[in-house]
Amino acid sequence: MFEEASEVFDNMFKSSFPLTFIVFIPAVLILVSPLPAEAAHEFTVYRMQQYDLQGQPYGTRNAILNTEARTVEAEVLSRRCVIMRLVDFSYERYQKALRQSAGAVVIILPKNMSTMPQDIVQQFMELEPEMLATETIVPVYFALEDDELLSIYTQTLTSSSSQGSSSAAEVLIHTATANGFQMVTSGAQSKAVSDWAITSLEGRLAGTGGEDLPTIVLVAHYDSFGVAPWLSYGADSNGSGVSMLLELARLFSRLYTYKRTHAGYNLLFFVSGGGKFNYQGTKRWLEDNLDHTDSSLLQDNVAFVLCLDTLGNGDSLHLHVSKPPKEGTAQYALLKELETVASNQYPEVKFSMVHKKINLADDTLAWEHERFGIRRLPAFTLSHLNSHREVQRSSIMDVRPHVDLRKLSRNTKLIAESLARVIYNLTEKGAPGDLQIFTEQMQMQEEQLSSVVDWLTAQPRAAQLVDKDSSVVSTLEYHLGRYLKDVRRHYVKADKRDPEFVFYDQLKQTMNAYRVKPAIFDLLLAFCIAAYLGVIYLSIQVCIDTTSLAHLVPWKFWKHIRFHWF
Amino acid sequence: MTLFHFGNCFALAYFPYFITYKCSGLSEYNAFWRCVQAGATYLFVQLCKMLFLATFFPTWEGGAGVYDFVGEFMKATVDLADLLGLHLVMSRNAGKGEYKIMVAAMGWSTAELVMSRCIPLWVGARGIEFDWKYIQMSFDSNISLVHYIAMAAVVWMFTRYDLPKSFRLPVTVLLGLCVYKAFLME
Repeated sequence: MFEEASEVFDNMFKSSFPLTFIVFIPAVLILVSPLPAEAAHEFTVYRMQQYDLQGQPYGTRNAILNTEARTVEAEVLSRRCVIMRLVDFSYERYQKALRQSAGAVVIILPKNMSTMPQDIVQQFMELEPEMLATETIVPVYFALEDDELLSIYTQTLTSSSSQGSSSAAEVLIHTATANGFQMVTSGAQSKAVSDWAITSLEGRLAGTGGEDLPTIVLVAHYDSFGVAPWLSYGADSNGSGVSMLLELARLFSRLYTYKRTHAGYNLLFFVSGGGKFNYQGTKRWLEDNLDHTDSSLLQDNVAFVLCLDTLGNGDSLHLHVSKPPKEGTAQYALLKELETVASNQYPEVKFSMVHKKINLADDTLAWEHERFGIRRLPAFTLSHLNSHREVQRSSIMDVRPHVDLRKLSRNTKLIAESLARVIYNLTEKGAPGDLQIFTEQMQMQEEQLSSVVDWLTAQPRAAQLVDKDSSVVSTLEYHLGRYLKDVRRHYVKADKRDPEFVFYDQLKQTMNAYRVKPAIFDLLLAFCIAAYLGVIYLSIQVCIDTTSLAHLVPWKFWKHIRFHWF
Repeated sequence: MTLFHFGNCFALAYFPYFITYKCSGLSEYNAFWRCVQAGATYLFVQLCKMLFLATFFPTWEGGAGVYDFVGEFMKATVDLADLLGLHLVMSRNAGKGEYKIMVAAMGWSTAELVMSRCIPLWVGARGIEFDWKYIQMSFDSNISLVHYIAMAAVVWMFTRYDLPKSFRLPVTVLLGLCVYKAFLME
């Protein structure tokens, strides 16, 4: 057979060149063509944060991975992808993986966070800032768990934990039966996003009664933060603040429509972006309004600035100030009104003032009012949290169930009443402490609050994901436009030479898990196939020998006369 | 080592054919081109079958669970063409009975191997993903080699006019089994 085959090839070579070309080039092309492969399982993964703030890098630096999967119990972790479940997650294990120079870390989160016990949730919330603080070159991904992913995890677990086992025979059997997994991401390496614009929105309600009226500014930042941008829904922090701001805008715009209740204060509402990244939106807005324009509401008579941050839960309210308000100022009036309303109408609420000086040596500012304080505007922040370092402010576990709607609407009413008492000067006019203004037609609309919070928590609102065309911004703009006048957008872009913030892309990837066998398996298989072929050869030889013995004479006869036939 | 795995499956699939060719003495008869001709006949027969099926059997729309016995029976009957093709190959080759059977069966099954198993192996076994089905496919080709040899032998026996009557019935039954094998499996 080979002689004839080689004859054919010889003819091909000797004949015209194009013929060989036609035969060989496709063969070569097919040989080197890239393979479209099907995976055992394809799933979406969300990368850990990667950003630079004021030159300081945070988070993971890498995005691509193409490594074999292992769990933490395995002995050899270097250049492998370590898979962990949230229930087994701990900082020591994470550190162990990083110390052994693992190739990547994938953390599997349950689909429904609320099924997790509270202590695990709390522990993870506390670990998030620690994970972000250390700069890792290893890509860290989060995936939501489903059945196939869970089965991949359990298979990897059994194969990893039995790696140290004993005899060669066991190892051989193990290689034949076990399934390894290769994790591959399909995206490119992460790089910095240039020209990212953080959007903020402002709107106003003008007061009545002459020029140079005092201005009250109400501020809330709408973006959210967590260890993975695509998983940060920010329900309480700061979805509650934004929904409260919208409700206050609605109530006061109703009051301001009627001539009798049109007060002598300008109300300026500001929904800021980039709040979790050291309040970039507010910073640039202040610079633009105070330094670059001639006349602005912020330059003249500002009564006070009230920032709303995380008000959707809890039974306490803290007013965070950087300087205790002096008597006789509008700031002081608001403080007193808040105390009055809280003690008279809502005795279950514990109201207190927290004084914290602005520390400019810190990496980031504590609360949003500090930005205004730096520019010498009287400001404070209301929150149910006692300290700005609380981990709930920047966690992916902050989802919709964290907001208690009754408490949110109670807080909204409390703040609305206090503001009204300040604006209309009710205490001086002798109104009692338990006078309720917002009742009947001016009732707080809980359904509105609820639907705004639901809408806000339905999508991740990390600052890296909300650009100026995003639906979050345009819907907020629309809503503000229903109640306020002069609704304007305000953009912040990082400075080219010395950027305050740099965001990176490749935050959401598709990861493929391929079932692979270890290399020894191929050798083992080759050995088995060689043995099998040997057996077949021998058996055919034996058969031919036994049959040819019977036809010995005719066989030879045929051999002699065959050229007469062909 | 995925190209290696492809090599493994390739070896598992092709080497028995090679061994059979060598050991059955066909190489002494310079039968290479005759086998290739048998393979060409296989291609032709498959083409005719496909055209026939496509023209005369419309796609059956019905519930997914119910098995269309009659339709599938008809389709399996078309596989009779396989037997006719084998017979055609064997009748064109003069020579001893064993020789004819072996040539026909070798050519037929090699053509089937090349056409139906080569591409899946190439595309699938070379990928990163490992699946047992490629080993299964290669092993399956070994079994089909034996099956085609048996089928060719039965066809040849069927056409022998000097066959004793007592053998007729089993031979016919075996032939029927060959054709309707796939149908009966369902």
